[in-house]
Amino acid sequence: MEYLHTDWAAMTLNDWLGVIYTVLAFVAMILIYVMVLHPKHKEAFDSRADMALRDADDYNKLGDK
Amino acid sequence: MEATQATPVKYDMDVVRWFTIMAVVYAVVGTLIGVYVASELAWPFLNFDIPEITFGRLRPLHTNAVIFAFGGCTLMATGYYMVQRTGGTRLWSNGLAWFTFWGWNLIIVLAVITLPLGMTQSKEYAELEWPIDILIAIVWVAFGLNHIMTNTIRKTSHIYVSNWFTMAMIVMIAYLHIVNSLAIPVSLTQSVSVFSGVQDAMVQWWWGHNAVGFYLTAGFLGIMYYFVPKQSGRPVFSYRLSVLHFWTLSFGYVWLGAHHLQYTALPDWTGSLGAAISLAMIIPSWGGAMNGMMTLSGAWDKLRTDYILRFLVTSLAFYAMSTFDGPVMAIKTVNALSHYTDWTVGHVHAGALGWMAMVSFGALYHMVKKLWNTEMYSDSLVNVHFWVALIGSVIYIVAMWVSGIMQGLMWRDYDEYGTLTYTFVETVSAMHPYYAMRAVGGAIFNLGTWIMLYNVVMTVRQANAARRVSAVPANA
Repeated sequence: MEYLHTDWAAMTLNDWLGVIYTVLAFVAMILIYVMVLHPKHKEAFDSRADMALRDADDYNKLGDK
Repeated sequence: MEATQATPVKYDMDVVRWFTIMAVVYAVVGTLIGVYVASELAWPFLNFDIPEITFGRLRPLHTNAVIFAFGGCTLMATGYYMVQRTGGTRLWSNGLAWFTFWGWNLIIVLAVITLPLGMTQSKEYAELEWPIDILIAIVWVAFGLNHIMTNTIRKTSHIYVSNWFTMAMIVMIAYLHIVNSLAIPVSLTQSVSVFSGVQDAMVQWWWGHNAVGFYLTAGFLGIMYYFVPKQSGRPVFSYRLSVLHFWTLSFGYVWLGAHHLQYTALPDWTGSLGAAISLAMIIPSWGGAMNGMMTLSGAWDKLRTDYILRFLVTSLAFYAMSTFDGPVMAIKTVNALSHYTDWTVGHVHAGALGWMAMVSFGALYHMVKKLWNTEMYSDSLVNVHFWVALIGSVIYIVAMWVSGIMQGLMWRDYDEYGTLTYTFVETVSAMHPYYAMRAVGGAIFNLGTWIMLYNVVMTVRQANAARRVSAVPANA
C-alpha cells in the first residue's frame, strides 16, 4: 500500500491537470470500445470493408453524400 | 439511391506523382548513407579523418533521410492519394499540396547541409536546428490542414480507416514535434532546449517513441489498410477490427516512451507503466497484423504471381515480429540486458526495413502503375527487388540480434571474485564480424532500391512514350 500512497495536499496544478486529462482519456477509451464492440454496430462497420475497392465513380452513382 | 452526379472525378495527382518519385530516390540515398555508416563501424578507416563524414555526423543524416525523406515522401504521396480516392474528391488545395512538396524537399536539402557540418540539437530523430524545426512545423501543419479539409469535402458519408490513421499521425506528430523542439535560440545555428535534465529526457522519448508509434506505425498502417485490399482485390477481413486497432493504438501508444529510460533518473513507476502498456500493445498490433493477413483469405494464390502483394504481406509479418520484440525489450529484466546494445538496432531495423520499407515499396509500386496508367516495365525486377530486400533485411536483423545479445551478456559477465570478465575493447572486437555482416546486409538491401529506381524510371518513360504515340493523330 505504501507504493500506492499519494500525498494529495502536495498536488500541483500540473498534477491535477494531468490526473483529469488521464481520467477523461480513460473514460473516452472505454466509451469507444463499448461502441465499437457492441454487436448492433457490427454490420454498420463491416459494410465499409470494401470501401477501398470502390472507385470514386461508384460513389458518384450512389450519391453517397 | 439515385445517381446525383455522373461526371468522373478529376483528381490532383501530379503532386502525388512527384512525391512518389522522390520517395524512390530518397530510398536509394538514405539506405546508401546507412551502408556507409555501417561500414565505418566495421572498418573505421572509412572516416578518413574528415569530420563531415564521420559516423557521428552521417548517422543522423541516414536516420533523417530514411525516416523523413523516404518515409515522409511516401506518407505524403499515399496520404494525398488515399484521401482523394476514398473520398471521391480532389484535394482541398492543390496549391497547398505543392507547397508541402517544395517545403518538405527544402527541409531535406537543409538537413543534408547542416548535419554533416555538425549543426545539431543532439536529440535523436529531432537533430535539426530551430529554424528548420519551424519550417518542419509549418509544412507539416499545411499537410495536415490540406488532408483534414479534403476529408471535410469528401463525397462519401464515411471517412475510410486509412484516413483516420493518417490524421492521427498528422495531429500527434505536429503536437510532439512542436513541444519537443521548444528551444531558446542562441544563434541561427544553435539553440538550448527549454527542458533540462530528466524532464528533457522524458520529453525527448515521449517524442522519440511516438515518432515510431504515430509516424512509422500509424501512418504506415493507413497505407496497409488501403493498399492490401486494393492490391489483393479483397475487402478488409474485419473493418470493425480495423476501427478497434485504430483507437487502441491511438490511446495506448502515447504511454510507451518511458520504456526507453529504464534504470535512469526517471521515477521508477514511469518505466513500469511504459513497460506494462508496451506489453498490452501486442494485442492491437497483432490484431491489426492478422486483419491485414486475413484480408487475403481466398486469395493466397495471388502471392505466387503478384510480387507487389508479396511486399505488402511480408511487411505484415515483420510488423507482427517487431511489435512483439519491442514490448519484450521494454520489460525491465530483459531491458537490463538489451539496453544500449545492438539488439535495439536490430529491433529498429526489423521495423524500418521489414515493415516500413516493405509496405512502402508495395504501395509505391501499386501507385506507379495507377498514376501513370501502365504496367511495370519489368515484373521480374519487382520480384528480384522483393527477394533482395528480404534477404538483406534478414541478414541485417540477425547480425544485430546476435551481436546485441552477445554484447549484453559479455558486459554483465563476471568471475568468482566479482570482477568483470571482459574489457570493453574485447566486446567491441567480438562484435566486429557482425558489424561486417550488417554492412553486407544493408548493401544488399540498398541494391534492391537501385533496382526499384531503375524499374520505376523505365516504367515512367514507357508510359510517357506510349502517351506521345497515342497523342499523334491517326493520319499523321
